[in-house]
Amino acid sequence: MSQWMTLFQKEILEMWRNFKWIWVPITFILLGVSEPITSYYLPEIIKSFGGLPEGAVIDIPPPTAGAVLASGLSQYSTLGVLIIVLGTMGVIAGERKSGVAAMILVKPVSYLSYVTSKWAGSLLLVWFSLFSGYLSTWYYTGQLFEWVAFGEFLHSFVLYGLWLTVILTLTVFFSSALLSPGMAGFISLALALVVSIISGALSHLLEWSPSQLTSYASALLVTGELPEDTLLAILISILLIIVLLWLSVFLFKKKELAS
Amino acid sequence: MEFLEGINWGLLAPLFIVQLILLVVSLVDLSRIEKTNGPKLLWVFIIIFVNIIGPILYFVIGRRNN
Amino acid sequence: MSLIRIKGLKKSFQGHEVIKGLDFKLEKGKCIALLGPNGAGKTTTLRMLSGLMKPTEGSITFSDAKKDGDIRHLIGYLPQFPVFYDWMSGLEFLQYVGKLAGLTSKEAKKRSLELLELVGISDAKNRRVGKYSGGMKQRLGIAQAIIHRPQLVMLDEPVSALDPFGRREVLELLDGLKKETTILFSTHILNDAEEVCDEILFLHNGEIVESGSMEALRERHQQSKIDFIFRKKTEEMASTLKNHLLTQSILVDGNRISIFVTNVELARKEFLKLIYEKDWQLDRFEVSSMTLEDVFMKVVGK
Repeated sequence: MSQWMTLFQKEILEMWRNFKWIWVPITFILLGVSEPITSYYLPEIIKSFGGLPEGAVIDIPPPTAGAVLASGLSQYSTLGVLIIVLGTMGVIAGERKSGVAAMILVKPVSYLSYVTSKWAGSLLLVWFSLFSGYLSTWYYTGQLFEWVAFGEFLHSFVLYGLWLTVILTLTVFFSSALLSPGMAGFISLALALVVSIISGALSHLLEWSPSQLTSYASALLVTGELPEDTLLAILISILLIIVLLWLSVFLFKKKELAS
Repeated sequence: MEFLEGINWGLLAPLFIVQLILLVVSLVDLSRIEKTNGPKLLWVFIIIFVNIIGPILYFVIGRRNN
Repeated sequence: MSLIRIKGLKKSFQGHEVIKGLDFKLEKGKCIALLGPNGAGKTTTLRMLSGLMKPTEGSITFSDAKKDGDIRHLIGYLPQFPVFYDWMSGLEFLQYVGKLAGLTSKEAKKRSLELLELVGISDAKNRRVGKYSGGMKQRLGIAQAIIHRPQLVMLDEPVSALDPFGRREVLELLDGLKKETTILFSTHILNDAEEVCDEILFLHNGEIVESGSMEALRERHQQSKIDFIFRKKTEEMASTLKNHLLTQSILVDGNRISIFVTNVELARKEFLKLIYEKDWQLDRFEVSSMTLEDVFMKVVGK
């Protein structure tokens, strides 16, 4: 356990030194908050710059607070996912490519600890960033529109966080299964995209798909109710995370560290 | 420009500050780092002149580890 | 008592056999040089011994291995080009590795400071490793290899990348380390091996072509060497000298012909007579006893 903590602390420290603890949360804040702000000011901006003919009335009905919050969240499934994948793809592949993994793992270090500590470090960063970004979005939406119940905010936060955790674990998996960070990133992104598209198109067949968590979170914000398949999707996601993590360790152990 | 009066500056100010932090941190990191993907000077311009996206772009693709 | 026993060790890359069956034992407390020209398979051998590579065939048995076969607590390893976390300081890296190897935070700190002093980079302990020079990285590499006091320290070409000064200091460091632990280090430079080691494993084309203690080696190859340098070398000279009764072996290198003999007095007389008779133009003539370098040149068959 103390060895795991040593590895984990190193991950946390590294993210301080390369400013990840600052720039990733800030990016998530700016991404999320841009949504309520543009929705709020857009009609006014159009009004003063639009050059609409005199007398033309633009009547855009103001969106509900839940819808604004939901579209704020959806920012994270595109740019947020991109940042997570690009930031995580090198955690293992990069260290092995540079040779530093061999320096570390020639010491009596458990492979399980090595992989899971890196995963846990990235996990903490993702949840922290999502929380600060989404909390700010919630606050701005409340200020500019109406307040969404904090419970709904928390529930949708956890659902979304779980989906991002699936993406993160997928990236860690490819990072340990493949030698090249670029390849790991590309495949993870492609897979996340394909899964999202397929699950979206066949949503009536794939209610359990982890990527549905994003639409369930939106549904909760817009309608105030959780679809009944949510629990199944949550369980499948957790199972997937555990299996991927276990496979990462298994595959990584089998690889030769020097080539 | 009458709509400017309707803006709640108290709400927007924190965002400007956060954005400024991002700008400063990326410049500090750029000054410390040995090598970037692409010329360093180019990144200085991107960070300073491309609002918000510049610093993020730098951290995501400009920064090179090891 | 033997620390490690290697039997029939082989390694192939894409069907190409790089290590062709090694058998040897390492005794506790010795300093062994793994010697050989570039491409002989030294690095591959060390990587297999340290567990970074899996042998294609054969076995590596440590006498003190754990039940599950883990040997990593027993060994310290320094690759030829050590890599660190550039953003850590030298001290931080050593403490990190020390803790990973099972030291408490306190022990790790104490031992790290001690080792930084020992390898001579304590002035730079708080500087980021990214700013270290090649020589400093090599020293830090040695420090990290011995931080957990392993039974066997394996160093891959620890001095080849260093300037003469650094080389001198690192060799002295190894000499001191010999008292504490078993050392196996690879090098392609004979002098380095001769200077610190008791034993030699000579690797050539993936095979051990010569091994044993320094003295035994010298004894076994107790021959004298006669060097001739001719103004102009002809095929006739080479073949006549090669087929001469007293010649045991011969090395031809341009105008220089070296002949190894056992009876040096007789050889001196006979060869000079021969040269006089044939009227070959001799520029230089030198008799010397064989150095280790000559032994190896002979073994490699150059």
